[in-house]
Amino acid sequence: MRLSAYTMQGVMLATAGILLLLVGLPLLYIVLQAIFPDVSRGSWAQPFSVFIPTLKDPELAHLLGNTLKLGLAVVLGSALLAIPLGALRALAKVPGAAIWDVVFLVPFLIPPYIAALAWMMSLQNRGYLQQLLGFNADAFLFSFWGIAFVMVLNVFPVVYFAISRTLMAVGGRYASVGRVCGAGPWRSFFRISLPLSIPGMAASLLLVFVLTIEEFGTPATLGAQSGYFVLVTGIHERFSDWPLDIPGASVLSLLLVILAMAAFYFQHWLVTRRSYISVTGKPSAIEQIELGRLKWPVFMLFMLVAFISVAVPILAVLATALSSTLSGGLSWSNLSLRHFEALFNNRAGALQALSTSLGLATGAALLTGILGALIGYLVVRAQVKGHKLLDFLSLLPNAMPGIVVAVGLILAWNQTHWPIQVYNTSAMLLLAYTCLLLPYPVRYASASFRQMSENLEAAARVCGAGFVQMFIRVLLPALSPALIVAMLLVFAIASRELVASLMVAPAGLTTVSTFVFGQFEQGSPGLGMAMSVVAIFSTTFLLLVLTLLGRRRLSGEY
Amino acid sequence: MNTKQLLASAILSITLAASAQAQTLTVYSAGPESLINHLAQDFTAQSGIAVNVFQGTTGQVMARLEAEQANPIADILISASWDSAVDLKARGDLLEHVSPNATQVPEYLKDTHYVAQGVSALAMVWNKNSQVTMPKDWSDLAQPAYNNEVTMPDPAQSGAAFQLITGLLASQGEDATWSLMQQLKDNNMIVPGPNARALNPVLQGAKSVVFGAVDYIALGQQADGEAIEVVFPESGTVIAPRPMMIFKSTKSPDQAKAFIDFVLSDAGQERVAQSYLMPARTDIPALRPTLNELNLIQYDEAQYEARREDILQSFRAIFGQSN
Repeated sequence: MRLSAYTMQGVMLATAGILLLLVGLPLLYIVLQAIFPDVSRGSWAQPFSVFIPTLKDPELAHLLGNTLKLGLAVVLGSALLAIPLGALRALAKVPGAAIWDVVFLVPFLIPPYIAALAWMMSLQNRGYLQQLLGFNADAFLFSFWGIAFVMVLNVFPVVYFAISRTLMAVGGRYASVGRVCGAGPWRSFFRISLPLSIPGMAASLLLVFVLTIEEFGTPATLGAQSGYFVLVTGIHERFSDWPLDIPGASVLSLLLVILAMAAFYFQHWLVTRRSYISVTGKPSAIEQIELGRLKWPVFMLFMLVAFISVAVPILAVLATALSSTLSGGLSWSNLSLRHFEALFNNRAGALQALSTSLGLATGAALLTGILGALIGYLVVRAQVKGHKLLDFLSLLPNAMPGIVVAVGLILAWNQTHWPIQVYNTSAMLLLAYTCLLLPYPVRYASASFRQMSENLEAAARVCGAGFVQMFIRVLLPALSPALIVAMLLVFAIASRELVASLMVAPAGLTTVSTFVFGQFEQGSPGLGMAMSVVAIFSTTFLLLVLTLLGRRRLSGEY
Repeated sequence: MNTKQLLASAILSITLAASAQAQTLTVYSAGPESLINHLAQDFTAQSGIAVNVFQGTTGQVMARLEAEQANPIADILISASWDSAVDLKARGDLLEHVSPNATQVPEYLKDTHYVAQGVSALAMVWNKNSQVTMPKDWSDLAQPAYNNEVTMPDPAQSGAAFQLITGLLASQGEDATWSLMQQLKDNNMIVPGPNARALNPVLQGAKSVVFGAVDYIALGQQADGEAIEVVFPESGTVIAPRPMMIFKSTKSPDQAKAFIDFVLSDAGQERVAQSYLMPARTDIPALRPTLNELNLIQYDEAQYEARREDILQSFRAIFGQSN
């Protein structure tokens, strides 16, 4: 047993080392760069000399204000849209309930920049809306509310799922108790279900806030035209438009991290402040309200939201991909498969971009899967020193926007003193994806370990298995259903990640997302959209696999 | 596959990627993407030297170079802005190379340290299906008929658009140019970003005309069937030669020189012509109007480059974020 404890401490140290390299290093370099503007030239001179001017810059206040305003507007919009839908889904018999759960996952799978481009094609002056119905929403789209609208449609499912699941958990047993004690359905909803589901609701809204302030694609696509700039676009501009302002970009990056962390701590405080054990209880059969005469209006409401959030963007992407020319507009004579032909004839390296993205996403899924399993185990089970640090480091990327990770990785690895060159290789992308997506497998794995009985390990040890053998032969198989779901999620997100890919992709390497972005910048929107179609449909296919696996897991594999 | 094997293969692939770097050329190019991809493929087929391409806008390419100053990656730069070559030479970053294939390149398109790959011109691009008539000159776009119908690439992000501003400053005078810009702003012209960002809205018809588009992208799209027309204004326009240069920091100077020579060869220049640029060599036929057929503004560009920040500041003052 002593030997095993040593092994465990060793595994723990190795994992902590990897985490420091993966998560700690980029963040450290951003902090250094923000404080010492000349650190990249090896000088520690003039600490904080850029800090104060950047913080005093009126543009910063403007960017910060815009970021907060957008974050709040999207939170508000998501709440207004998703809370009623989620509540209806949980408490009432909505026709086609299971289908809506799948449909509302799709907005999550349409990469936000593609959705933004699709909305632009649809709503702008002489866009698809005008071609079909004779009017447009140009002024609305290229405004603050237009950007918020598009972003709400991208993120509202987060709230929808959180609300419907929480309400299902608390709305069942606890509301029944209320009903038994004589409360009417409305009263038991407002006095029991709603208060009990507030933490889940708040947590999901804060997640929406963080997702919004981190998002690059939508403000980059719609913001330039409406003159609405946020922190993320500010960082990107400072880092990728000449003349560069790397220290300034680092200061803005730090600010963004602090904002995201503040949101997460607030969420943590909200959730842990009181006990809401109801949520951890077993899901019980819930007695759903009959909608009666409201059945079809409610159905129409779900239909409408699905149409706007899923069908419109996908149809616009398809229309653009299937149009021979953009100026030809929507007409049968303009229908053509030539962009798909070009794609499969490998124009502009389309096929390499696909295989690169698939390869990198697979790599990221494997790496985060292994790390997630290890970290989950060490944090939940192992009585080793420093597991709190491990927990903190592994969940830190939640508060690190993609652009910040990219900036940190460039600062860290673009140095001559490393023994092997990592900068300008595909390893940079792998590092970025792994860092960004690590929290998913860690969460899934630690949740699973908490449910698993310790007897399994004890039995393995009694039979003489060492740590490594026990982990691989006993724990991993038991963990695999949850881990596979998390890894598929990592795969789906990594295969379409935009902002880090744009910034750290080495020369000669294109991913699906940089390909699509590049085609728009090169003036070939049709080809870009054809690639988007392939990307969206392949991730949606993955989603179906994912939900099927999830079902099987829920139906009780262990 | 167990953890160890996985890690081992990951490390192996990283070191392989790193060691492969030494035998390849890295080219940073400010477009067009299809051209640089073809040139790279043809060169590799001919010489066996692999070429890695980073493709971006001039702003992105220059930014990447700057970020990598301590640890240079690029061997060759093909920029869309002549001034960037002048700058880099003055800083002493460039390797001297006079290509034997450059004899047919006019004097003003070459130097000891850089040489044009091809040349584009700045134009107006008009959507034929639009409600407005085809404009004839820059100033037409300030007319009320074009209210809400015009886009322009951002001179801070597009070297060519900056060149156009300096050309107008030289030919029409400072006051007249800035007052034209103010009128365009009052006419609700938008400045959405680099070149294609300004052009895309005109393709679908959200806007009708681009003020100062790089012509080759639009000519390519026109050939591809888009209903647009490329208009060279009567009062004259500017050209944007695209300089190629080799960095002093290159570890493979001979291969880099061979690449430049290849781009200036018959085969290379024909590729340039196919992307609707004017080839740098006057003896290679172009698929488009060439220098002799265009009314060009003649002026001292260097004088304006020194004022770059000033000029961009004035531009921003008019089109700045004012929402």
